[in-house]
Amino acid sequence: MNIKLSLNNAVVVLLIALFSISMSAKAGDVYDYIKLDNEILIATDANWAPFSYIDDDGVMQGFDVDVGREIAKRMGVEARFITPAWDVITAGNWNMRWDVSVGSMTPTASRSEVLNFPATYYYTPAAFAVHEDSTLTVPQLSGKTICTTAASTWEMYLQGDLDMLNAPAFTYDVTPGTITSLVDGAACLDDVRLGAGVRNDGMIDSLPMILAAIDAGYPIKVLGDPAFYEPLSLATDKGNDDPELDAELARIITEMQKDYSLSLLSIQHFKNADGTSADYTVSY
Amino acid sequence: MFVDTVIEDKALHKPAFLIGLFVAVLAFFFAFNFTDTFFGEFLRPVIGEPKESGFFGRLAVSIVLAVLFVLNLFVISFFKLKGQIAIVWIELFLLFLAFAYSFDLKMSFIQSRIGLMISQGLFTTIYISAVSIVIATVIAIVGAIAKLSNNGFAFAIASFYTSLFRGLPLLLQVYLIYKGLPQIGFMVDAVPAGITALSLCYGAYMTEIFRAGIQSIPRGQWEASRALGFRFSLIMRKIILPQAVPIIIPPTGNQFIAMLKDSSLVSVLGVWELMYLARTLGQRDFRHMEMLLTAAMIYWALTIVLEVIQARIEEKYKQKG
Repeated sequence: MNIKLSLNNAVVVLLIALFSISMSAKAGDVYDYIKLDNEILIATDANWAPFSYIDDDGVMQGFDVDVGREIAKRMGVEARFITPAWDVITAGNWNMRWDVSVGSMTPTASRSEVLNFPATYYYTPAAFAVHEDSTLTVPQLSGKTICTTAASTWEMYLQGDLDMLNAPAFTYDVTPGTITSLVDGAACLDDVRLGAGVRNDGMIDSLPMILAAIDAGYPIKVLGDPAFYEPLSLATDKGNDDPELDAELARIITEMQKDYSLSLLSIQHFKNADGTSADYTVSY
Repeated sequence: MFVDTVIEDKALHKPAFLIGLFVAVLAFFFAFNFTDTFFGEFLRPVIGEPKESGFFGRLAVSIVLAVLFVLNLFVISFFKLKGQIAIVWIELFLLFLAFAYSFDLKMSFIQSRIGLMISQGLFTTIYISAVSIVIATVIAIVGAIAKLSNNGFAFAIASFYTSLFRGLPLLLQVYLIYKGLPQIGFMVDAVPAGITALSLCYGAYMTEIFRAGIQSIPRGQWEASRALGFRFSLIMRKIILPQAVPIIIPPTGNQFIAMLKDSSLVSVLGVWELMYLARTLGQRDFRHMEMLLTAAMIYWALTIVLEVIQARIEEKYKQKG
């Protein structure tokens, strides 16, 4: 970035004035800073009900958000949520803009080059969904146009390149002709609802999110058995490696599993297709 | 533009034009079959079941629509100019409302969230745009003077700056500043990063506008001021800029309006401004069109306010000149 150097003096002065507002550039131990600021900055998605979304009062809600709040509570600090785009989170190099991702991230080999995965806190199935008028079956989706979220495990699955860590075995049942990678699953849902084969032939996303959409009246249906099961983990930045923070996060998740508070949150937020509550915190 | 003194007869009052218009509109409505819509339903007493009315039904609906359309224009042509403008505006706006209505919107959903859209989203959008506009204006004045100077360094730096920042997409600049600056030790949060990108990008465009405005002042003004022994800053403040401002205002107002909407690009950084909330607030209930249309109306209303302000300022300088 030589951009700054090439500007004339007045601009440089202005820029420095602007940056000095936010120049509290943190360095060193992340956990110490969390304790010092009495605040943990949690990155999560704001467009992914029922995991995380903004409610009527402008407050973040959802399973991931509640897990984040509980972690902060047990750490004895305040929780603050930040909502960058998903691919910005998975790219790593957070520069301490936020301390931890509580955003249902699946540990993969490629992601673990830039991120640490201190604790897996639940497991969800990934499933294909199509418009309810569609007659396709899962094997017939091969060669068709499938929609998914950019930089997601579902996209990696469609590309035949899913390198999950500590996950149950699975097979690649679908090789799409075209993969449409959009900014989030909500964008895919809005395309699928237009009709079978209008913008795409189907989509793949997390099963609870598809069920929530069906619940909201979307004319879509889940196709076949889940494509694969994925473990979902907290993530921290490898660029600002802090084993102390990772250990503390792992300890809190274990504690929440032991006293069933994690299960209770899952039951509270997730419903099965038949309306019963779902506990996704138990490994398959 | 001057109002031409040669007034021709109104085209809409010539039978040949009316018939030609009617045929063209009829062909248009016939090509896009309107039988299955509200209009077919309206004509049910004449054409029977709209779906089974066939060629006759389609023709009947097209003729009725074409007659209504031409009659509407014919009636409007008898109004005075201001009345015509008002009626056409209202009719186009009603068409837009009909377009929005066709999405089957849930009004209670919009009502429950519009407070947040305004208190959080609109506030952030205006805050980001306003700060960026101020900084961009300062950059533009400095940049324009540098581009007009005979100092090689000042000109080189200013021209490199305008070339670079006009040459990169704004979204790319947002990402470069947000992701790139921390790499060299400057930690910028999302909002300052967005403001920096907007200021630098629009500062570059406005540098060119200001430069052109200053250059449009005749050379004689400079020479006369110098002959009177004025210093550069005094010439600029009291003689050149007051004359350049009326020329600069219309394109600058354009830039302000464009920036207001381009501030939505900051939403990729997760800032809860208008566009971001429009994309996310509908998520929980999977109702996205409601929020998108609400944001559209808010942006439009804001732009109209800016247009009115620009017109007022222009009017003020017109009287002075």
